Amino acid sequence: MSNVWYYVFTLVFFLFDYFILAMGLNIQYGETGILNFAFIGFVAIGSYVTGALALPSSVGTGQHYIFGLGLPFPVNLLLGGVAASGFAVVVALITLRRLRTDYLAMVLISLSLVLYDVTNNFIPLFNGADGLYNVPEPFAGVLELTTNSFIPFFAAVTGAIALLLWLVMSRITRSPQGRTFRAIRDDDVVAAALGKDVFRTQLKSMLIGSFYAGIGGGLIIEFAGSFNPTAWLPGETFVVFAVIIVGGVGNNVGMLVGSLVVETLLIHLPAFLPSIPNHPGLIEYFDTVVVGVLLMAMLWFRPQGIVPERLRKASSLGGSDHALVARGSDAAAAARPAGVAAAGPKGER
Amino acid sequence: MTADPVPAPDRTTPRAALSCDGITKAFQGVRAVNGATFAVPEGLVTALIGPNGAGKTTVVNILSGSMTCDGGTERVGDAEVTNWPSHRIARLGLMRTFQLSRELGGLTVLENLLVAAPGQAGESLLNVFLRPSLVRRQERENVERALDVLDTYGLFHLRDNRASDLSGGQKKLLEISRAVMASPRILLLDEPMAGVNPALIERIGGHILDLKATGVTVLMIEHNLNVVERICDHVIVLAEGRTLATGRLGDLRENAEVVQAYLGEVIDASTHG
Repeated sequence: MSNVWYYVFTLVFFLFDYFILAMGLNIQYGETGILNFAFIGFVAIGSYVTGALALPSSVGTGQHYIFGLGLPFPVNLLLGGVAASGFAVVVALITLRRLRTDYLAMVLISLSLVLYDVTNNFIPLFNGADGLYNVPEPFAGVLELTTNSFIPFFAAVTGAIALLLWLVMSRITRSPQGRTFRAIRDDDVVAAALGKDVFRTQLKSMLIGSFYAGIGGGLIIEFAGSFNPTAWLPGETFVVFAVIIVGGVGNNVGMLVGSLVVETLLIHLPAFLPSIPNHPGLIEYFDTVVVGVLLMAMLWFRPQGIVPERLRKASSLGGSDHALVARGSDAAAAARPAGVAAAGPKGER
Repeated sequence: MTADPVPAPDRTTPRAALSCDGITKAFQGVRAVNGATFAVPEGLVTALIGPNGAGKTTVVNILSGSMTCDGGTERVGDAEVTNWPSHRIARLGLMRTFQLSRELGGLTVLENLLVAAPGQAGESLLNVFLRPSLVRRQERENVERALDVLDTYGLFHLRDNRASDLSGGQKKLLEISRAVMASPRILLLDEPMAGVNPALIERIGGHILDLKATGVTVLMIEHNLNVVERICDHVIVLAEGRTLATGRLGDLRENAEVVQAYLGEVIDASTHG
């Protein structure tokens, strides 16, 4: 397999992986309105736990980490997702009850920094700044994949997982539960006045989104075989935010588009460009600039994203045909709009 | 300070659907509510009136659970619900609307109503994945009912519009119809007719009387005494955070304290207007 295909499948892997991460952040921020500025921390938890569960006992490996159970592939990945969800519950219990919007965001970004510093410096946990490496390849003993065949194979596995997670997520966002998420996003006081338990609902959203974060993180360490703190600097959260804002907040398909534009084309593709002579690493620095400029341009010119959130019309909500035939008195209402329509300008306060 | 001047409830009035006793609330030293005590008779339309700053909206916020109080007790029927969170009070069948319309802007008009439907199986993810046919059937029924409510309130043709795109008057109607969708037993309306034109005032008044006819208890904050006179059976006067008087509007007009605190200027204005 030529190098070109190696690159292409690496890009395909990141396309699907960030699709998963973006769906996770989208249900928290895009659907429920929780500004989770610690998102990358949940990705890291998924990644470390997945890796540490796959690795054999740490004795004699030259690394320090907890677990070391040598669990086979899908099991460790699932537990990585569960670990991220479990941590989300703890975080939500502490923060969500009392804090809203910008205060919550500040606390969460601090949490992200604390997680980072602890992991970086407390070596017995996940090997400190060196991070985990030599993580066993999934299906290593079963499929006998070479380095070259592993990459397209695992990109396909990730694609299949992303597809499954997308089907699950669309089902959630289409359901009455999804509607309640969006009600809380639009106005949590109103949602509570309509009988919605805002805290419980936000907790659910945090739990689901963090599971997606954990799975996306677990796939990264399985793909790369290693994971260390440079991969999840607190600022990485904003790359995922850029993905969902560019793609279209509140639209699951938009997440795939955002992942393609931001993660694949702007962040990973340039890394494969030949470097500029005498300026190694310059292209990577430009990545960040380009993503920042794109993010600002999107917020200014097209805040709804490339694929905007769809309005869910009556016909798609299970309104039967006869239900949508104009009701008797509404014909009258349409004929006397004065009462309603004329109130408009005066009514706006 | 207790509300001693409040007359004992008239024996002919029905039992209280909602009552509060000695409610207090201070905002950084300002006593917004200072011992408000009253009962809202079941099945009637009651007006909550009083001069600006009397604490009317604060009382509605406390009664609906949107805000906690510092002291006093609140009852819905016989159950004490003091400082219960909003969603638990709502589940007892008490719905409220807001003074400034607060539509769920990103949702359609129809979805705004669907959110309010009580007891949705589809709000449990277990049901969404394991009992999809139950969720679908219930959703269909809720859509049907929501369309009926929209039809009643003249919003049917706007069902697929984004709620934030409605005009001010339409948003007022959406607020009320959303609360109605929740099948409330008690409805708190915070100035449902503020800032709307006379034709719409007429129409909203008609809707409130229709709700009363179906057995809903209504408590509404209202400044327009002509409206109070026409549609409200019972009036509670609030001044400086406490209950000044309760009774029929006609009787209250003869209460010197009430007239001095509030009615005097308004009666002047309305007779000249």
